[in-house]
Amino acid sequence: MNEPLAILAEPSACWMLQMLIMIPLAAGLLLFLVPERFRMAKGILAMAVTLYAGYLSLGLYTSAKQMIMQGETVRQGCLTLFDFDLLQKAGEYLTFTVDGLSKLIVLFVSILAILILLYTIVYNRTAKVPGYYQWFLITLGCTYGAVLSDNLILFIMFWGILGITLYKLIPGRDEESSAAAKKTMILIGASDTIMLLGIALLWRLTDTLSINGISLETNNILTVTAFLALLVGSFTKAGAFPFHSWVPDYATNAPASSSALLPASLDKLLGIYFLARITNDLFIMTQGIKLTMLIIGVITIITAVLMALMQHDYKRLLGYHAVSQVGYMIVGFGLGSLVGIAAGLFHMINNALYKSGLFLAAGAVEQRTGKSDISDLGGLSGAMPVTFVASLIFAMSISGVPPFNGFASKWMIYQGIIDFGAGDGIASSLWIVWLGLAVLGSALTLASFIKFIGGIFLGRREPWLDKIREVPFLMWAPMAILALFCVLFGVFATEVVIPRLFTPVVGAFTFNGLWSSSFVSLLVLISIILGLLIYLAAGKKKFRTEESFIGGETVEKLGASYPAPEFYKTFTEFGLFSKIYKRAEAKAFDIYDLSKGAVLWLSERLSSAHTGVLPGYVIWVCAGLIIMLLIMI
Amino acid sequence: MMNPLIPLFVAVPLAGAFLTMILGRFITAIPRYMALAVLLFLAFISFWSLVVGGDGSSVYTLGGWEPVDGVPIGLYLVHDGFSALLLCLISLVGLLSVTYSVSYMARYTSENYFYSLFCLMIAGMNGVVLSGDIFNIYVFLEISAISSYALVAFGVEKNELEATLKYQILGVVASFMILFAIGFIYWSAKTLNIADIRTVFSAGHDNRYYLLIQLLLLTGFGLKAAMIPFHAWLPDAHSSAPSPISAMLSGVLIKAVGIYVIIRLFFNMFEVTEGMSIVITTLGALSMAVGVFLAIGQWDIKRLLAYHSISQMGYVVMSVGIGMILMARGIRSEVAALAITGGIFHMLNHAAFKGLLFLNAGAIEYSVGTRDLREMGGLAKGMPVTSATSLVASLSISGIPPFNGFFSKLIIIVAAVMGRFYFLALLAVIVSIITLASFMKFQRYAFYNIDPGKIRNDIKEVPAPMLLSMITLAVVCLLLSLLALPGLRETVLSPATDILMDQLKYSSQITGM
Repeated sequence: MNEPLAILAEPSACWMLQMLIMIPLAAGLLLFLVPERFRMAKGILAMAVTLYAGYLSLGLYTSAKQMIMQGETVRQGCLTLFDFDLLQKAGEYLTFTVDGLSKLIVLFVSILAILILLYTIVYNRTAKVPGYYQWFLITLGCTYGAVLSDNLILFIMFWGILGITLYKLIPGRDEESSAAAKKTMILIGASDTIMLLGIALLWRLTDTLSINGISLETNNILTVTAFLALLVGSFTKAGAFPFHSWVPDYATNAPASSSALLPASLDKLLGIYFLARITNDLFIMTQGIKLTMLIIGVITIITAVLMALMQHDYKRLLGYHAVSQVGYMIVGFGLGSLVGIAAGLFHMINNALYKSGLFLAAGAVEQRTGKSDISDLGGLSGAMPVTFVASLIFAMSISGVPPFNGFASKWMIYQGIIDFGAGDGIASSLWIVWLGLAVLGSALTLASFIKFIGGIFLGRREPWLDKIREVPFLMWAPMAILALFCVLFGVFATEVVIPRLFTPVVGAFTFNGLWSSSFVSLLVLISIILGLLIYLAAGKKKFRTEESFIGGETVEKLGASYPAPEFYKTFTEFGLFSKIYKRAEAKAFDIYDLSKGAVLWLSERLSSAHTGVLPGYVIWVCAGLIIMLLIMI
Repeated sequence: MMNPLIPLFVAVPLAGAFLTMILGRFITAIPRYMALAVLLFLAFISFWSLVVGGDGSSVYTLGGWEPVDGVPIGLYLVHDGFSALLLCLISLVGLLSVTYSVSYMARYTSENYFYSLFCLMIAGMNGVVLSGDIFNIYVFLEISAISSYALVAFGVEKNELEATLKYQILGVVASFMILFAIGFIYWSAKTLNIADIRTVFSAGHDNRYYLLIQLLLLTGFGLKAAMIPFHAWLPDAHSSAPSPISAMLSGVLIKAVGIYVIIRLFFNMFEVTEGMSIVITTLGALSMAVGVFLAIGQWDIKRLLAYHSISQMGYVVMSVGIGMILMARGIRSEVAALAITGGIFHMLNHAAFKGLLFLNAGAIEYSVGTRDLREMGGLAKGMPVTSATSLVASLSISGIPPFNGFFSKLIIIVAAVMGRFYFLALLAVIVSIITLASFMKFQRYAFYNIDPGKIRNDIKEVPAPMLLSMITLAVVCLLLSLLALPGLRETVLSPATDILMDQLKYSSQITGM
């Protein structure tokens, strides 16, 4: 075992890249041999592997940086491991690429994976999926593989395996969760198969499978079909309208350790990574495609957030927000400008940070209380202070409240839209619509997160919740770290984060208007301090509490509290909305259920022809022959 | 090169069948071990022949009758790249089915008949695959078909007997058409040797007879291959047979006596013409699309699997058909080769995953006692191995990486797109998605879908021989993906494609010209 260490002393990007993909995969396969009894040992091994992968990805991020600055992409055959006979002539399919974008994604994948695994080790035993750690490691290895592959066939292999791990990471025991698992696998698998069509078309049109080697104009039906086929894959993975419907179901039924890992962070990173590849590398977008993307983007933002508003189950609520946020990224990429792309990527990273944080917080609350309905909870802020503060920060980030990171990236998207308005074409002339809907989506997000924070952490505490304690250190620490990231990325957005992380990826760009995140943060801080001073100066004891009574009768204490979800009924009962909501609840708009209905209808029609009567079957055979004869002779 | 092992492929199982029958009367344990030994031997020599004779073909002349003036007069057994693959398939799936039967068939009476018929069916299939003249193909086809009629009815319950009746009557209709076509061929070409027929027909023929012969053969073998609209016997027959037999029927028989013969005849006996290739492609596409819609509505596991066989065979025929169209047009021969390779690859893969799925269904029936998906649930807890292997098979058939079905579907879709058959590519994608959906349904209702508290505790995993077969096939499903690697593809699949693409090579090596 001396040889690997010798190489370790002199790490090259190529070697790190191979190890990054191979080690988690190999360790994952190895863990299948370890019985489930030794759960803790498996967790520790997985942690060691993940930390090592994190170290490698950091190494990759820093070491290959120079080459990016020279403007060239590091592309290596990376076949030193594989040059035995089996893989002869397979070299052209085994190409990997390390550029600014993939390095960035790899780094954040590692960070998120480490934090989520840390949380998972002490997370609720009963809720965890059997074999979690091996599937976790395989997910990790395949994610690295997908992000780093340059060959599209290699890419779709890693990408497809991620569908299996997603399927295996949801327990799927009872009726509801097995239905969610099935739906997830069908939608993801369907999108992967559609992507195959796109890849085949690309291959046919360009004679190459290298992501770096393709740059197609979207000007005829074949190129547009290829573009759309690949877009379906990216949208389904990231969870954008109309292929999003697996995300809420998955989030409702999967344990926090799984939903924070895949739908909230890694799948988002991957889906948006591939979206960036499609829109920037593989294709040159036309005005029509930009318009389509913007429309899909705003539809995703608005419909998902409207659905989120009416949810009682906080995990489902988060699931819908996981969809809604993707809309912003799609809008960013749909703009096609450098600001837009940078904003989309920035929002992708931010979203992964706060959304996985929110799922972890939700998991913590569920572990301690065992309830998943907001109406059953309340007043947990004192009992679970770290979870509360972290959730508050995540909630403000996702709602785009300055100075947190969500604001920074959303602001960039708004700026991008305003810039875009200066251009020609129908998509540009409608800029005010995109801007208005994006801002509205943000406001509605805030509205629904008030429900989340208010309903779970604030308000009156039910007596049975008195014994609730904060989750263990290993569970709250990842949340705290993620919250810290959210604050730092927000406060230092313009000064540090964007120039250091995103300018190398997309190239230099300028902001429209004056905006310095640190200065804004300072202003926010000052105003909060001023507010506090006024509050304290005014004297905080100047209110009184009274027993509530109605018509002279003292009301029962318990009945006097109003569960947070009740306030949102206005939305669902409002005129036109009420009908739409009802149909949406009945899944009338779900592409999965719509196509299922159509397929089963056709299936029934065809089956009813199979009566089991033998003479009929003989007639079919003869008829088949006669028809063929008539056509041919 | 003459491979002396070739006649053993037919002789050993044939001898095994009769010896089993006789010896089994005296010692009850003999039949199963005898059948195992026969299949083990066949597996050994088939893989040995594949490895050794990988790049060349070998022709065995029965009785050593040499051609006279270039006219072959003896009986020829031809072992080339294509038949070698089929032989491996037959013996591998056969071996695993027999292993599985050792436990599974213990519930049935008269085991010696079972193993005897099993060997007879293997002998018939090997004969069809090796035979170099069309009349012997017919004879061996009947041997395997008749033993399969008996095997389908092996349970002798109401359903089995009805299924076998349908199977026999439709099978006889097909056999009649095949015999009729052979009569026409003999009348117009005065020979029955495939290579010789090719030579005679290419010298000149009456086009209308030629087409009639082709269509009669296509109908006859299309029925054996369960192409739509000739498929109606399949769901009943494949679901009523004992599960190891279903695995053989769906996994191997429809390929050996259906698909293989269609491909062999239309490439090596007839000239590839555009009209016929379009008909074949259409049949394939139709089977692929209609089969999957019929499958997804089923609640009986084995019927669901049986309908999927129709659909998956549609992929094979469609892909080969695309290759034929391109060959007939004389354009893009690389794409044609890719399409044919994809079809053959998918055929191999289908044997592995569909065989495995039927064995899984048998395991479920063995432990739970039902085939209705609505009456099961939560089996993942009691039957972890069955659950895991069936997930492998389900993902394979649905074309999810890294399993074998993904790669063959990838090749088929790429070939369809490259050959400018965009609609067929789209159809293949849609069918693949519906396949995935129906297998997710199978996974959900069979193995999950029940609250942990309500799971029946009396469900036990099946005995070791059955587990061994299932695990082996699951591993095969993974290993077959390696054939997608260019190096392996060229050594294993390309000889088969070459013998089909290079149309005259087959004739020349037999007639010696």
